[in-house]
Order: sequence, then structure tokens, then C-alpha cells
Amino acid sequence: MATKIKNLNYIFNPKSIAVIGASQIEEKVGGVVLGNLVNGKYKGKIIPVNPKYTEILGLKCYSSLSEFGRVDCAIITTPSAIVPQIAEECGKLGVKSLIVLSGGFGEVGNKDLETRLRNAVAKYEMALIGVNCLGVLDTKTGVDSIFLPMHKLQRPPAGGVAFITQSGAVGSSVIDMVAYYGVGVSKFISYGNATNLNEIDCLEFLEQDSETKQIILYIEGTKDGKRLYEVMKRINRKKPIVVLKAGRAEKGSKAAFSHTGNLAGNYLAYKAAFRQAKIIEAENLDELFDFIKIFNQPLPVTGGIAVLTNGGGLGIITTDAIESSGLRLADFSARANNTLKKILPPYASVNNPLDLIADAKPELYNSAVEVLMEDATVGALIIIVLFQVPAMNESIIEVLERASGDRRKPIIVIGVGGEYVSRFRRELERRGVPTYGSPQAGVAALKKFFEYSKFKGVLKE
Amino acid sequence: MLKDFQLLEKNGFELLPYGVGKTFEECAAIAKKIKYPVALKLISPDATHKTEVGGVKIGVNSDEGLCVAYKDMVNSAKKHKIKIDGILVQKMARKGIELIIGGKLDQQFGHMIVLGLGGIYVEIFRDISARLCPISARDVDEMIAELKSHPLITGARGKKAIAIKDVRKIMLSTCKFMAREKIKEIDINPLICDEKGCDIVDVRFKR
Repeated sequence: MATKIKNLNYIFNPKSIAVIGASQIEEKVGGVVLGNLVNGKYKGKIIPVNPKYTEILGLKCYSSLSEFGRVDCAIITTPSAIVPQIAEECGKLGVKSLIVLSGGFGEVGNKDLETRLRNAVAKYEMALIGVNCLGVLDTKTGVDSIFLPMHKLQRPPAGGVAFITQSGAVGSSVIDMVAYYGVGVSKFISYGNATNLNEIDCLEFLEQDSETKQIILYIEGTKDGKRLYEVMKRINRKKPIVVLKAGRAEKGSKAAFSHTGNLAGNYLAYKAAFRQAKIIEAENLDELFDFIKIFNQPLPVTGGIAVLTNGGGLGIITTDAIESSGLRLADFSARANNTLKKILPPYASVNNPLDLIADAKPELYNSAVEVLMEDATVGALIIIVLFQVPAMNESIIEVLERASGDRRKPIIVIGVGGEYVSRFRRELERRGVPTYGSPQAGVAALKKFFEYSKFKGVLKE
Repeated sequence: MLKDFQLLEKNGFELLPYGVGKTFEECAAIAKKIKYPVALKLISPDATHKTEVGGVKIGVNSDEGLCVAYKDMVNSAKKHKIKIDGILVQKMARKGIELIIGGKLDQQFGHMIVLGLGGIYVEIFRDISARLCPISARDVDEMIAELKSHPLITGARGKKAIAIKDVRKIMLSTCKFMAREKIKEIDINPLICDEKGCDIVDVRFKR
């Protein structure tokens, strides 16, 4: 691994961080970042740098980094014009990693300025995230350069999902959404202009990162498609990658020589690469979020799906979604059917979807789930819960958490409704149970999960 | 055109039997050898739009038909002041399903290959699938499965599946051809297939 990629360790796990451009003004980027570090989980040394101040938030403020000395990581928020010289100064001091949040480089035409920065960073083999980005978040070490205040943008809990994003706006929105549902994140990287490290370097770093189990990638474009393809293909075998590629509207050239040239815009090449590498592609932000959260479940070994419900209609809609997605319902074994007959009330019939009827208590869900977990015809369970019925209560959360937690078979929970239902969903998500607001969303995610399982050779049909 | 044909053959493409004649007698001899029905195409450095100057005749079924078609073509070329290098006589393609196989060099991802069904499927529904080269036979099968119109290829409404074995071979050859000859764009359009095999009707490529 290249030194610059190894040096990313100094970004995510630094003993000391300098905020160059730190500010006493809360609304300024240098003010927010410093505040987030001081008030957040980060335990290492924090060094504010700004010649205007002698003290910020109770910390001594240095006029330059040279006045203090070497740090592991420098977060730079100054105007772009002075960033290359600051990078040079950092390099001389032995700083291993930089996060440059400042914009005003190549994206507004200042290509030379960006080249000067790139050269300075390369000279000292530093790792640079940026420019023109939100930087990083590490939920374990508390490193946080996201310049959005914590009371406006919630930070997600620690977990296995890493997120690489070209866009800061998309990145921060998804992080907020993920945090709302309590989905655990390992690392977040907004790499902006990719002046030094790009999405491929970040992928290779996360490949080795023991905290990261799954990767979300949001990209608008890449500079090296062939390598992106090779790296994604390799990593996807170990850690599933869900990708959202934006900027697809561009069509093939009308003036193309061939029919193919006319049909095949650049997005088609991305799509071809994703398909070939068996990368899970999300069509939109909703899918991105829906797809990633199912990957904390064990891979299915057989294709049959059991649907459990306490509301008939939702069971039927789910069946339709399963049919049209090309997945299939399980045909329960005779033994499972007999056991289910014994535990179900006499007026309920044993079918798939298995309708437990509206007066089903959480205990009945528990018994039915137990039977289906043991039945070899079942590869995955879709558990629909009408949380709103009188017989349903809080203890369903433990039932579902146990079903998900014992990792015998993948489960997803579908809860359709308003505020009351989303409280249940959030609590379940927090405990690692993937939930969906509609049968279609849940089935679409399950479909991708089955495809991935087949690709891994776990699902054999 | 002939150079292109030879390059394609050298790269493993099986083209419909053909020959080039400079006189009616030569053309008739070729037609006799490859058997009717045949198509005639004018070979000329001047004619880029052959159809518009009467440079293409299809479904020629007999020596008499060949005679009429030959005369028409020569007269038309003279009228348009087009130089005649020769006349290509090629076996007519079978009847069947029209596929389009395309390839191009993408700036970021390198050579890629595209598959679709001809006519409305590609034009209106944009029903195409794509992969990066090189590909395996399995990739081809996945590309076919990915098409919404795939039942037309794999068999539907009492019709048998087309010769997928041949489609695989041609697609694998296309990727190899693009790599070896540094091709920027290629169209095999149409490729006509039935259950017994596939015929390449037209190929255009650019380096």
C-alpha cells in the first residue's frame, strides 16, 4: 500500500489535531470544526491555529503551526490562496496527514493553485483528504471535520458501515438520515476534488480497516475507471459495496460513428463495470439507504422466503412484490406446517404468507419465527408487523431483535405507518434489525441481498 | 470493404460466403458457387451511401435476376459518375431475430461491449446490456438475461431459443478484435439469428 494511503491512519486515529484557521466565531467553518472536536468524542490533543487569536474555547491558540510543532493531522479551513504554503509548512514539520475543507481550487478554475498543493503534499508523502469537502468522521476515535454543527446534523453511532462520498451535500444528508435511524457507521470520507487521495485510495484503505464491514460509495465520476473496477471487484468479495452513481443523464454522442457510440453514454460504462463486479447499485438515495442496512444480516443459503404478518393485506402486497421481483415464497415442509398448526389459533390457516391475524401477540410471533428459522425450506424471513393493533406491544422489539441477533437466517421487518410506527422502526434499527416502510422497499433490498449471496456462492440456486 | 472483411475473418468472425466479380459472368459464377439467394453490393471508393445510388440489391434469386440487378447497378453507377472497383456477391442472410452487438472504447473504462435486439427494442425501449471487455461466455448469458426482451432470444410463444452458442462466440470475438486491432467503435448490425445459427449482415468499425 502506498505511503499516502497508509498515512490515512493519521487522519482517522491521530494523537494530535491542529485546526488551522480555527475561529472564535461559531458560524465560521474553523469555529464549527474546532467546537465539534472539543465538544465531541475525540480524546487526543487539539491545537487551534490562527494568528488573530491567543485563545479559543479555553485552548491556547497558536499563530502558526511552526510555533507549536508537529501534529499527526492538520485540518485546514483557511482561504485557498494560502493553503499550498501551509501544506509546505506542515510537510516540513513532519505532519503526516491533512484535511483541506477549503474550496476555491480547481472547481472554480484555480487549477494551478490545486497543482501547487498537490505537489507539496506529494513531496512529503502526506495523506490529503480534500480539497473542497467535508473531510472525515470516525465514530470510534471521534475525529470529526464535518463543518455542520452537531445540533443540526446528528452523528451516527459506531458500527460497520463506511461511507465514501464525492459530494459533501449528499454525504452529510445521508449521514444525518443514517444517524436518525441509528445505523452504525465506522468511517465517513468526503473527498471533494480528490486532489491527492481519491475514491479508489479510500476503498483500498477501507478494505484493510477492521472496523468496516460494508461500504457505501457515492460518485459522480472517476478519473481511472479501469482501476476503480478492479479495486471494487476485489473488495466486493470481502466487503459488500453499495454504489450510487449520479450524473447519468449524459447521453452518447449524437455525432458518434456507430449506433453503439450513439446509444452508449458514459453511464453505461459505469453500469457495465458495476454489473460485472457484482456491485450493488442503488438507483437513488432511498435505495442506497435501504440496501446497505440489510448487509448486517447473515447471507441466505436457500431462495425461499417466509412472510409473516398480522395483517392480511400487507401480506398480499408483499407477495406481489416478491413475485414481480423474481424472488419466490418458501414452500414450508410438512413438519413445519404441523408445528405451526399446533401453535396457531384454530381459526388461522397455515399458508405462506403466514397470517397470524390481528390479535397475535409478540409471543406468537416468537413461536412462529422459531419454527421458520428451523425449517430448511426458508432462506429469509419478511416479518410484517402492524404495530398499531391493540394486541401488539413493546415486547415485539425483543422478539425481533433476538430473531435478527441469533444470525441463523436473514430477517427484515416491514412496518407501514406514521410516527408511532417509525418509533418502533428506529428502535429496531438501533438494535441492528433492518426495517422498511413498505413491502416494495424491503423486497427490493432482499433481492439485492439474494443476488449478493449467490455471487458469494452461499446461495446455491 | 474487402480489407475490412479480410480483417474480420482473420479475427475469427465467420462471414456469409462472398466473392467479388468485375463482370456479369464472374458474378454469376460466384452466385453459382455460393448458391442463390444472394445480395449484390457495389464496391467503390466514391459511394458512401450505396443504397441511394442503387448500389445495393438484395434477394437476387436466379441468373436472370442477377443479370437485371447487375445491369441496373452498373448503369446507375455510370449515371452518378461513380467508379466501380467491383461487385460484391454475398449469400443472403437467414430469416430470424435481429440482434445488435456493439463495442466502443470508453475513455475511463476501456473497451466495452453492448448487446440489444434490433428495431424498436433498442431504438424505443433502449433495452441494452453492457459489460467491460474482456468477457466470458457467462457474461454473455448474464447480458442476455438482463435484457427485458430476452424471451425473444431464449425462446417464447412456442419459438425455440436462438443459437446462443454463436452469439457467445461472436461477442467474445468482438472483444478480442477490439483489443487486438485497437478499435474505437464497432457495430455488428444486424446480426440475424435463428435456432440453427447467426449471420453477420453488416459490420462497421473505426480505429
